[in-house]
Amino acid sequence: MESKKELPKFAVLQLSGCSGCEVSLLNSDEWINNFNLVYMPLVVTSNKIPEDVEVLLVSGGVRTDEDIHNLRKGASRSKKVIAVGTCALSGGVAQIRETHQARDTYLLSSHRLRLPDMLPRAFPIDRFVNVDLYLPGCPPTPELFMTALTEGKNAKIASIVCQECGRQKLQDMRPTSITGMRSGVVLPDICLVNQGYVCVGTSTRGGCGALCTRPGHACVGCRGPANPYLNKEPKFVLDNLRRVFSRMTDIPEEEINEALESPWLSLFLDQFTDYTQDESLPMRTKEKMI
Amino acid sequence: MTTITYPLSRIEGHARVVIDIHDDEVFRADFQAMEMRGFSYYVQGVPAEQITVIVPRICGVCSTAHQVASVKALEDTFGVTPPPLAEEIREVLLLGQLIQNQATSLFIFTMPDRVNASSLFEISDKPGDKERQFSLAQMALRIRKIGTDLISLAGGQFIHPIKTVIGGVTSGIPRQKADVMIKTIDELLPVANEMVDIYWQMSMEMGDRIGSWGDDEPTYYLASTEANNFRLNSKSLRLMSPEGKECQNFDPHEFESYLQIEDSDYSYAGISSFQGQIMRANSLARINLTTSFGTPMADNYLKRFVETFGRPAHAIMFFDLCRGIELVYALEKARLLLEDDLEHGETEVAYTLRDGVGYGLVEAPRGPLIHHYEVENGLIKNADFIIPTVHNMLAIRRALMVVAKRYVSADGISSELGRAVGRVVRAFDPCIACATK
Ligand code: SF4
Ligand code: SF4
Repeated sequence: MESKKELPKFAVLQLSGCSGCEVSLLNSDEWINNFNLVYMPLVVTSNKIPEDVEVLLVSGGVRTDEDIHNLRKGASRSKKVIAVGTCALSGGVAQIRETHQARDTYLLSSHRLRLPDMLPRAFPIDRFVNVDLYLPGCPPTPELFMTALTEGKNAKIASIVCQECGRQKLQDMRPTSITGMRSGVVLPDICLVNQGYVCVGTSTRGGCGALCTRPGHACVGCRGPANPYLNKEPKFVLDNLRRVFSRMTDIPEEEINEALESPWLSLFLDQFTDYTQDESLPMRTKEKMI
Repeated sequence: MTTITYPLSRIEGHARVVIDIHDDEVFRADFQAMEMRGFSYYVQGVPAEQITVIVPRICGVCSTAHQVASVKALEDTFGVTPPPLAEEIREVLLLGQLIQNQATSLFIFTMPDRVNASSLFEISDKPGDKERQFSLAQMALRIRKIGTDLISLAGGQFIHPIKTVIGGVTSGIPRQKADVMIKTIDELLPVANEMVDIYWQMSMEMGDRIGSWGDDEPTYYLASTEANNFRLNSKSLRLMSPEGKECQNFDPHEFESYLQIEDSDYSYAGISSFQGQIMRANSLARINLTTSFGTPMADNYLKRFVETFGRPAHAIMFFDLCRGIELVYALEKARLLLEDDLEHGETEVAYTLRDGVGYGLVEAPRGPLIHHYEVENGLIKNADFIIPTVHNMLAIRRALMVVAKRYVSADGISSELGRAVGRVVRAFDPCIACATK
């Protein structure tokens, strides 16, 4: 335990998110032996990030003026910043629909007694600070956290979810309509697309171990678009999905299009949308992606 | 006027306590949620079936409870009854969540307070006790991991789980995996007992040291577990009066007649009450409302608790002890359920979408959680989340007032106040992400 003090300093800054990323990190407890945890309010009483932090993990999106302040301060004291989770990468689930009603409520409430001001939307963190490594996932698995911390840019990650899924794609099983979640039975070992589910594993970055698809739930794409679609408009990812469905199924095009516009997919597939619309944002290259 | 602000760590989410003092007198002690999530707005207009993937993201600590409540609300709307096997698997899932949560609250959040340490990893109550320090943190994390492993087993993944779907669960639990889990529980159940005993002991010593168990006036207690059946996949709510009489029993769809929920003017979180009266939910409420767990070790602890502190028990720090009892119960019960065949048989039934209104109730670690949806043209028109932490807001505020008064006097503000504030808030194990709209 004495040697702890000499280990590299490690800090975890949580902005506006759900704590899921932190809870996941807690399960990859190997870091406890490799790092000296100096800041992580969820588990340690510590009111500020000290100087000379080796690695700063940031989870959650930038939603309040306080978030901006904490993020800038934290990053300035750290050698390396890793953005973890959909929220830090895109603002997160808040982007599903920032309704006027929601915004009004925020604006009203933030003027209440001594509370931080809400920004007009939730921003990704690299709009404000330089990010060295991106770890997408909602949340990233404990294994992915370890990979990011130990291997960093040298990590080898499965290119798409299908690579890790283990379900078989069949030639002669062609559904004619979308199953939704309605069928009542998921057949084991057979690709979910063959069964008519809107599974987007074919275009989603791997590395999660196909957590959802193996027990029978369609992948909703929480790891974000695979490398070919980084920094591209969502259209590219959607076009690829359309191709997959027309190759493997006989589902009418309109039905597929409608399904692909689902909020639960846009949440994750549009993770990089900002990056095609805002020139001032840095490019997220595949080398920086875990 | 002096205002003291205490930022809070070792709780879920961003919150702080603000105390106003004027001439040695405490004016107000507010517990402020500092963030706002906004889910009741985001989900408006979302296709009903998709809400079950979106709402777990309200909170990564309670995602399991939100997911199951969400699925149950839609099952209620669509008029589907999941097969018994699915109900049992959901119970395993919720037990996993209880283990994970209570282990986190007990060991990571509150154990450091018992010995004035800043984190579990730095607990050094006795000089030279390196062996035990190391093993404490390791043991705590191993017990907590049983919870997350159970959630993964029954839910697919341990944060934002996916296996619970409208009509049932996507797949069963293979025998071989259940057996591995049983083996782990058998190995760690005695460790959990030991940890709970250590925790109990540390708490007694702390009580002696500070001369208080966090005394506060009696309140109402709210839980949805049954007196002799501690089912977390629950059906109705029960309310106990401050004198210890069970005075109300109601279904989730009647909640508005019993619970008043309003916005507060000092926090992003709402507050609720029983007809204007202060309530408490979470572990102490459940223990006060439980006659028997039906598992031997937990029943032993329950007996010891009731014999020592009475029923209903009211002091704030009892919340923490009760979490220990529940941790032991959840381990015992999960083990029992895993002995059943959870692999073969019908896991889900088909359903048809229809419009309407539905309510989904589960007993989350922090108390009864209700999701209430209105579906129109297949889309969510309105969604209401009745959050357990919100039921505790008035109680937290009053308890903070009690400690503030205790530590502020003509001689000044005691340095113990900051620690006391942390202990009180953590006893309620509030969840800020959930508690805001
Ligand atoms: S990325 Fe997902 S798990 Fe992480 S904070 Fe955001 S909602 Fe929670
Ligand atoms: S299968 Fe898809 S949705 Fe599930 S964890 Fe992996 S990337 Fe995320």
